[in-house]
Amino acid sequence: MGAQKKGATARVSEDPEELARHPLQAILLADSFTTKFRPITLERPKVLLPLANIPMIDYTLAWLESAGVEEVFVFCCAHSKQVIDYLESSDWSSQPNFLVATIESHNSISAGDALRLIYERHVIHGDFVLISGDTVSNMSLTQALQEHKERRKKDANAIMTMVVKQSKPSPITQQSRLGTDELFMAINPDTKQLLCYEDKAEYSKGFISLDKTLIADNPSTVLHNDKQDCYIDICSEEVLSLFTDNFDYQHLRRHFVKGLLVDDIMGYKIFTHEIHSSYAARIDNFRSYDTISKDIIQRWTYPFVPDVLCGNSAIRVERRGTYRASEITLSRSAQIGPFIVIGQGTEIGNDTKISHSVIGEGCTIGSNVTIEGSYIWNNVTIEDGCELRHAIVCDGVTMKSGAVLEPGVVLSFKVVVGQQFVVPAYSMVSLLQQPTQQDSDEELEYADSSSGNVELPSAKLNGDITSDLSETRHGPTSELGTGGVGYIWSIFEGGHDEEWRHSVAPIPTDKLAKIMLDKDEDEELLTQDGNVLSPSGELKSDSDANDSEDGDNEGSRDDYVSFEKEVEATFLRAVHENVKVDHVILEVNALRLSYNMASVDCAGAIFYSMMKLAVESPHSSSSELHRNAADVITTWQNLLKSFLHDIDEEIEVILKFEEICLESAKEFSPLFAQILHLLYDKDILEEDAILRWADEKEGADESDKVFVQRAEKFLQVRNELIMSIRVCIWLL
Amino acid sequence: MPDTQALVNDFLNQLKKRKIEGSQATAKQTAELLRSVISQTRVPYTNQAGALIDSVKAVGERLIAANPVELAVGNIVRRVLHIIREEDVSLTTAAMAGLNLSAVSDDEDDADRDDRPVLSAAAVAAASRSTLRPPSLQTLLEDVPDSAAVPHTSSSGGDSEGKSKSADKSSRSRKLKHDVIEAVNELIQDINTCHEQIAEQAVEHIHQNEVILTLGSSRTVLEFLCAAKEKKRSFRVFVAEGAPRYQGHLLAKELVARGLQTTLITDSAVFAMISRVNMVIVGAHAVMANGGVIAPVGLNMVALAAQKHAVPFVVLAGSHKLCPLYPHNPEVLLNELRSPSELLDFGEFSDCMDFGSGNGAPLLHVVNPTFDYVPPKLVSLFITDTGGHNPSYMYRLIADYYSADDLVVQRRPTSGN
Amino acid sequence: MWWRSPSFILDREQQQQNDSVPPNPESLFLSSPPPSMADSLQNPKSNISAYYQTRAAHHAVVTSDWLAQAQAAVGSHTDDEESSGIDGRAAATDEDGGGGGGKAFSVIDEFNSWRKQPDLAEAVAAIFALAAVIRASQATTMMELEIELKKASDSLKSWDTTSISLTAGCDLFMRYVTRTSALEYEDFNSAKSRLIERAEKFGEISCKARRIIAMLSQDFIFDGCTILVHGFSRVVLEVLKTAAQNKKLFRVFCTEGRPDRTGLRLSNELAKLDVPVKLLIDSAVAYTMDEVDMVFVGADGVVESGGIINMMGTYQIALVAHSMNKPVYVAAESYKFARLYPLDQKDMGPALRPIDFGVPIPSKVEVETSARDYTPPQYLTLLFTDLGVLTPSVVSDELIQLYL
Repeated sequence: MGAQKKGATARVSEDPEELARHPLQAILLADSFTTKFRPITLERPKVLLPLANIPMIDYTLAWLESAGVEEVFVFCCAHSKQVIDYLESSDWSSQPNFLVATIESHNSISAGDALRLIYERHVIHGDFVLISGDTVSNMSLTQALQEHKERRKKDANAIMTMVVKQSKPSPITQQSRLGTDELFMAINPDTKQLLCYEDKAEYSKGFISLDKTLIADNPSTVLHNDKQDCYIDICSEEVLSLFTDNFDYQHLRRHFVKGLLVDDIMGYKIFTHEIHSSYAARIDNFRSYDTISKDIIQRWTYPFVPDVLCGNSAIRVERRGTYRASEITLSRSAQIGPFIVIGQGTEIGNDTKISHSVIGEGCTIGSNVTIEGSYIWNNVTIEDGCELRHAIVCDGVTMKSGAVLEPGVVLSFKVVVGQQFVVPAYSMVSLLQQPTQQDSDEELEYADSSSGNVELPSAKLNGDITSDLSETRHGPTSELGTGGVGYIWSIFEGGHDEEWRHSVAPIPTDKLAKIMLDKDEDEELLTQDGNVLSPSGELKSDSDANDSEDGDNEGSRDDYVSFEKEVEATFLRAVHENVKVDHVILEVNALRLSYNMASVDCAGAIFYSMMKLAVESPHSSSSELHRNAADVITTWQNLLKSFLHDIDEEIEVILKFEEICLESAKEFSPLFAQILHLLYDKDILEEDAILRWADEKEGADESDKVFVQRAEKFLQVRNELIMSIRVCIWLL
Repeated sequence: MPDTQALVNDFLNQLKKRKIEGSQATAKQTAELLRSVISQTRVPYTNQAGALIDSVKAVGERLIAANPVELAVGNIVRRVLHIIREEDVSLTTAAMAGLNLSAVSDDEDDADRDDRPVLSAAAVAAASRSTLRPPSLQTLLEDVPDSAAVPHTSSSGGDSEGKSKSADKSSRSRKLKHDVIEAVNELIQDINTCHEQIAEQAVEHIHQNEVILTLGSSRTVLEFLCAAKEKKRSFRVFVAEGAPRYQGHLLAKELVARGLQTTLITDSAVFAMISRVNMVIVGAHAVMANGGVIAPVGLNMVALAAQKHAVPFVVLAGSHKLCPLYPHNPEVLLNELRSPSELLDFGEFSDCMDFGSGNGAPLLHVVNPTFDYVPPKLVSLFITDTGGHNPSYMYRLIADYYSADDLVVQRRPTSGN
Repeated sequence: MWWRSPSFILDREQQQQNDSVPPNPESLFLSSPPPSMADSLQNPKSNISAYYQTRAAHHAVVTSDWLAQAQAAVGSHTDDEESSGIDGRAAATDEDGGGGGGKAFSVIDEFNSWRKQPDLAEAVAAIFALAAVIRASQATTMMELEIELKKASDSLKSWDTTSISLTAGCDLFMRYVTRTSALEYEDFNSAKSRLIERAEKFGEISCKARRIIAMLSQDFIFDGCTILVHGFSRVVLEVLKTAAQNKKLFRVFCTEGRPDRTGLRLSNELAKLDVPVKLLIDSAVAYTMDEVDMVFVGADGVVESGGIINMMGTYQIALVAHSMNKPVYVAAESYKFARLYPLDQKDMGPALRPIDFGVPIPSKVEVETSARDYTPPQYLTLLFTDLGVLTPSVVSDELIQLYL
């Protein structure tokens, strides 16, 4: 067969030498500690969900096994019984030199807890691979381990190596093809050290702040937004102890990684290892479930593909990526499109069209059914004339004739959809009532499946069926049409934006169009000098709301407000962390570019923030306020000056000042003249700027003139001076 | 028995994970495994052959199922089965020869039970020989070709059972097993030496100042060329690089290291260069019963080029690559689709595979088949360790190496669809 | 090649006969409904080959009510394994009883009586007939018996020179007889009984053969393939039947097969198995070949070159398929392997059969009434026989092995 691709050959040469010292261990978290896969995960743990008809955990274990890992500790929490039973029934328990041990817990609510628990067990010796049970990969660990060990030799603080892979996020919706939010990583290109890790949830305020020390002590820093975190970590023992030390670490990335990155007391370092030829990805949400299934079908995960993975029930690949198990009863007139997986013993009726879908084992599909990009699990019954588009249908579901699933629907176990009933797009249907008040992903499928054990949901489930049946007898009051059984979960608030982002359905074109329209940022800025920002979802949404109601000047105005906020924030940070002036100037410039504002606006904004600072700094009397203002101005005059290139900007500043006095900070109104004078003395303002301002104000109505009058005296002095000079000239 | 079980499982695992590469290695390991299986099997007093065959078949079937694409496994399993039958028969005939008429007469009354010709020893010998030959017109008349004729009957070991039953009265106790293991050892020996065997013939085929073209890399080809080189032949080699794995580069390295004049070309340049080539020499993954060749991808093109310019297309194959099956739909069923990452970098194209946009259908599909099927009419000559053969002659070799009723071992998995 | 020349001469005189027959009655005769079994039994030397008459009888040449007859035939199709074998033996035994007394025993009658049953192949019938000869014979030594058999088989062969499988059957059995006689026997009777037993065994085997071939060919029929079939062959039908039973999704193109219109019959059979089937006129083969994935044909006889002799039109289909690189598969039982080595089309005894042009043909117009052609081996891909899947070269090898 000739030699093999790099990964595999490496894999072959793996086991003996460097792993011989102590067996390579791995911790496999068989619980995602999220609720992304609700409602399915209420009844079955995520790791047992079929991925191209094979449970996810099998992919993970198969990879670990072939990557030379010898001991795997499977940590199971939610539905732990199911996981353990599965592992015992499967042949993983009986592998010659591949030990799979389960660690069960009932009160762990996060990866942090899990690791703490494992630490107490004292099972991990030396380096280990930390992975969650929903990760698919075919990478070779040899090189990554090598690097990790060498780094350890050099520097005991390099305790973790994160595996990353290039994957360009969609420029339109800031999310990767896996449906995860755009991820920013600052990596030192030479040492491959991870300097900053920001996923969108964190920088929703619109920009990322890099600690300047990073830029200081790393000669070069590349900030990637096209790296995908594979959630495969090679860790040293310290990691576990770290978790026990800081008991507040819950989430692996948000708390642990960031925690390490920010604290420089311990000086622990995290490094990255990028893989190119091989594949690795984690199933985080329904979109990634879809994407990864398709990758598997396209054999990116070779040799972990259905036909190789399950040798016993012979699945054969045919042309155009069709995987067919041996016993299938297929009607002659059925049209089986490309990229299909069909499981054992499935029956497909006449004139049924199927494309880009996975169909499980023992399903019965009637005639004239249309299935498109859907995932149908085992023992599903679909009667004649149904239509499924980009839906997930779990075990034992029944779709009565003519039922329709619109894109993004998820039918959980044993749901029954009534005749001719149309399930609206993105709706989740389950036999279980929707748990009350779930709000975010942070919350754990464990906490609110009201108690961990599996019995209770099932008991509840039977109850549901009976009750539903009874109520359907009374009349078609069921939520799923006549004869339907199940509850349609209400889409919880705030999630609505996320619906289309994370569902199996592709993003509808109108959505894309809308986002496109909202976009007014250009790509190359994204990674421009250490300071990156991109407007966050919320910002866009309300801004486009404005767009819709009134013209774009309003929009730009609105932009200006946010811009001002940015500048202020920058400025304040500059003040508190006393950043050098020119740094601040840089940042403000960056802001200006990205908001494409004129330097006029900068001047205004900066002045505004200075004054704001002055006001906010404690003061009792107006005199103190004046003093504050004075020293703020004195300290930051260079900053201000650097934006006052010509007279208009100066005028702008004055106008701004005026505005401030009128609206935001009334306290200034008495001090207007003095501060104006002060500005003049610090020659931040030219005098003819002031005069011009005065002249402009001539035409204005009384209310507007008030400050002109305030400044009258000052102005007069000026004017007289000018006069006298003129007179002298005239006399001569 | 348990330790063999462990061995078997381990080997299965490796096959499944595609960890074993190259048919020679696979063949060798299979043979060794089966040898240990045989030595572990404790044979009953009666019908030893039956017992051995059953145990070998049991293991063999699983091995084949583990990686149906690697035909060498199936070949070796059948070879071993054949060996068992042969040894069995040779002992039987030996025993029967000693029998006197009385034996014949009491054979006569159980003639209807197991329908074997009730003849003299010579006839028995003929009959039993005929079961080893593929079924032929003789067997049609002489002996009930149940064995050959109904390859699908589950008890395809049945006839040999009948035969050995009738012969078990003779005193051959432990001998069979011993002989079989001996024979298997020879087989392993053959597999090891097949490269040398083939290389020995190099001089007869490669002549002075010839230009040889090959594609990809095959150890057999390498040794073949080097053997000719050592025999003081001076010739030049064109190596097509063999995308996407570019084994050709390695081969070129090796050849140059051995002091051969080498030219590296792209696969697409084959047609351009073929007119200057005197002979194409390539390795194979498997040779089918009709003389068709399962070979590294790209070779069919080379074969066509060779045919167009009437350049002899020579295939080197060790006898363990000889497969008694006929290819049906070989491009699909006997092929292995590898990871697309050998063709292009996932990261670079990740945006082409963003299913979030559009209608969710993947627009980019990368196919990376491992093998080509070269039809027999494009092959000019096969060089195996037993010499050079015409494609149409392959069936004869196969008839020597395999007994017909062992095809069933393979047929089960392939007759899936 | 001693055997070919006489057959040649035979053909010649047959030809002359044909030409000498006045055209008008002939055309009339031809347009009349197909000859029944009865008249085919007397005048074996008519200008219509007995072989084709039996074929006609068996295949119920298509008439207005061909459907009904086809039905009936299929009904008898179902139980072909045992039936023929069983009553074969039964008939043999009572034949034995009767044959003991009466001298009046003719191989031909015997043969014809066997041939009556629709599913018994000619070769088998011939061998059964010869077996009956053995039973009837008064010979006391092996030598005599052999001579007697030789006579019988010769008379059989000469009775219908056009039927290849008949010839093949006789040759095969004679070959076996000589072989057994070569092996020294204890006593003559055991040898005799042995021969008879063999003959019956052979009958069973040949009945099993079709199943085997069907099995072997299954792997080659893949889902969604299109198969072109020419002529009505019971083996090919068996193959397709089995494929349909195995839930293979395939469709079949049937050539019409003028003038026997065998295609209509086959298409009818297939329609019953609800296999999608399409009828082509014989001249539409090249037109449809690009849709076709493989060509399946039966064979009247498989000759030493590895080529086949089959219904007229096979040769041109094979040529078209070959030129479009489509595989041509032949399904043939091994008793059809004949010791012929035709070098060209005209090289074997032409089996003649009536061609109904609908209108009377003027006497000056010559009509090519030969019913079959010879397809050289290089146009065949594989042969499915009960000996396994063979390449043409293997076939010739087999024959050489047997008769050398």
